[in-house]
Amino acid sequence: MSLLQVEDVGVRFGGLQALQGVDLEVQQGEIFGLLGPNGAGKTTLFNVISGLTAASCGRVRWRGASLAGLSSHRIARLGIARTFQNLRLFNSLSCLDNVLVGMHQHGRQPPLAALLQTQAFRRRETQLHQQAQELLALFQLEAAAHQNAASLSYGDRRRLEMARALASRPQLLLLDEPAAGMNPAEKDELRELIRRIRDQFKLTVLIIEHHVPLMLGLCDRLAVLNFGQCIALGSPDQVRRDPAVIEAYLGGGA
Amino acid sequence: MDAGLLEQMLLGALLGLSVYLPLRCGQLSLATPGFFAIGGTVAALLSTRLPALAGSGSTYPITSVLLEMALAALLTGVLALGLGRVVLRLRGIYLAIATIALVEILRVVTLNLEFTGGALGIFGIPQPFDSAAGYAAFTLALLALICWLCDRLEKTRPGRAMAAIRDDELAAASQGINTADTKLLAFVLSALVAGITGVVAAHFLNSWNAKLGNFDASITTLAFVVFGGSRTWLGPVFGGLLLTALPELLRPVGDLRLIVFGAVILVGPLFFPQGVITPELFKTLKRIMLRPPTPAAQGGKP
Ligand SMILES: Nc1ncnc2c1ncn2[C@@H]1O[C@H](COP(=O)(O)OP(=O)(O)OP(=O)(O)O)[C@@H](O)[C@H]1O
Ligand SMILES: [Mg+2]
Repeated sequence: MSLLQVEDVGVRFGGLQALQGVDLEVQQGEIFGLLGPNGAGKTTLFNVISGLTAASCGRVRWRGASLAGLSSHRIARLGIARTFQNLRLFNSLSCLDNVLVGMHQHGRQPPLAALLQTQAFRRRETQLHQQAQELLALFQLEAAAHQNAASLSYGDRRRLEMARALASRPQLLLLDEPAAGMNPAEKDELRELIRRIRDQFKLTVLIIEHHVPLMLGLCDRLAVLNFGQCIALGSPDQVRRDPAVIEAYLGGGA
Repeated sequence: MDAGLLEQMLLGALLGLSVYLPLRCGQLSLATPGFFAIGGTVAALLSTRLPALAGSGSTYPITSVLLEMALAALLTGVLALGLGRVVLRLRGIYLAIATIALVEILRVVTLNLEFTGGALGIFGIPQPFDSAAGYAAFTLALLALICWLCDRLEKTRPGRAMAAIRDDELAAASQGINTADTKLLAFVLSALVAGITGVVAAHFLNSWNAKLGNFDASITTLAFVVFGGSRTWLGPVFGGLLLTALPELLRPVGDLRLIVFGAVILVGPLFFPQGVITPELFKTLKRIMLRPPTPAAQGGKP
């Protein structure tokens, strides 16, 4: 069974059909790319999967069970984490606290133990802090641990969002334009990093990115959206040669 | 300092904390005076109508006050749980308006009920302490306890979740935080603090009426937090203590005092948009205090 199935999903915003009849299946362990021009509906599809936008028709299945009607925190707890295209960090919190918030579902402790600061409580808390530091280190943010998230550079903020998303120990990671605002060297590093975390954390990755070479080099499979519809689906080689894709990217004035 | 003023300041600090709790979670609730009034009414009714609570000594027993506090907490807690589910669906200024309406409804109901004494209220509330200093000591202990609880809350998981919701509710939900329940928790805690404070205030004031929980009180208590800051519990405590004391301390300047008071409330947020007390302030203070002496300073010493 596929990890994630998107079945005939359509989303309508008033008169605008943002998504229409989108069908996808994402397999466990793959890096699946979403390409498409601006306004194609890529972020909207992420929003449907993560429960922020309700599909007007169709459904999303997670390990075979429909996600319809689940609120976003329930979906997050199932093991689906995401980053946001327009960065949504907790700006008044330190980087460490941002990651600790990401660990929310694993950090539950008995309230009385938390009040009295029992040994068991402190031991667990130290453990969580260590894990958070390790995640920050993975994204080269360990030096900024106690800095406010708002004070970071743009690229660092993107990395912090990924660290925060990983903190929930997800099985599926949705990355919405993680390379935006990064220079070519950083983009290369990012590609390696995404591969590495996929292997290390046994992740499945669904990634939106405009940088086509990066996507062709990184993804196992790709889907191309245009005007809310899926116009191509397959391996990087298949997608690269697809006439509909060439038309959408070149004919669309891009 | 006059112990009566100190007692008022401590009550102000407690009310500041009550406004602070939902605000730290990004929820602008002005319901504090409503729950404060319920606490006061519970205390006034129980202590004047139930002879069993009066005890045999010359002063009213503290245990009876604690019992009233428990009952007030139970009542305000249950009420906040029910009301919170409904009003917390509203955001920002709409929540503020809904909670103001709530406070007004409560006030009008109390005003028109027979057993709460109508407009005149309830008189002759028995005294557990024979001096204002006794009240101040008791309230100080209560304030210390609640500050400690707030401190633990801020440093643990639910507190982090609240801060996350304040910064970005949608992103918080995406981290698996049940935002509705977390906001409700903050609202209920706020109601508990206000209700318990009302019990102490009723005894201290000796009489209780519907006017004590009105719209003015909503705004005054909000000013405590806006002035002091809503990022750590120290902010509302500082704001509550200072802004309660200020009108009294300014008495010597006569009619000017309200103008000065207004100016302080206005100028505070202008220069300290986050409130006077912020985590950054502590970081700066720490840095100044921990800064190693510079070589020049050392060399300059004879
Ligand atoms: N909440 C909303 N209400 C109304 N329209 C929306 C909403 N969200 C998205 N849209 C519209 O839906 C269309 C698809 O938007 P979406 O953000 O999914 O595009 P995208 O493929 O992510 O584009 P980009 O590459 O620019 O991020 C756009 O025309 C957008 O204006
Ligand atoms: Mg987008």
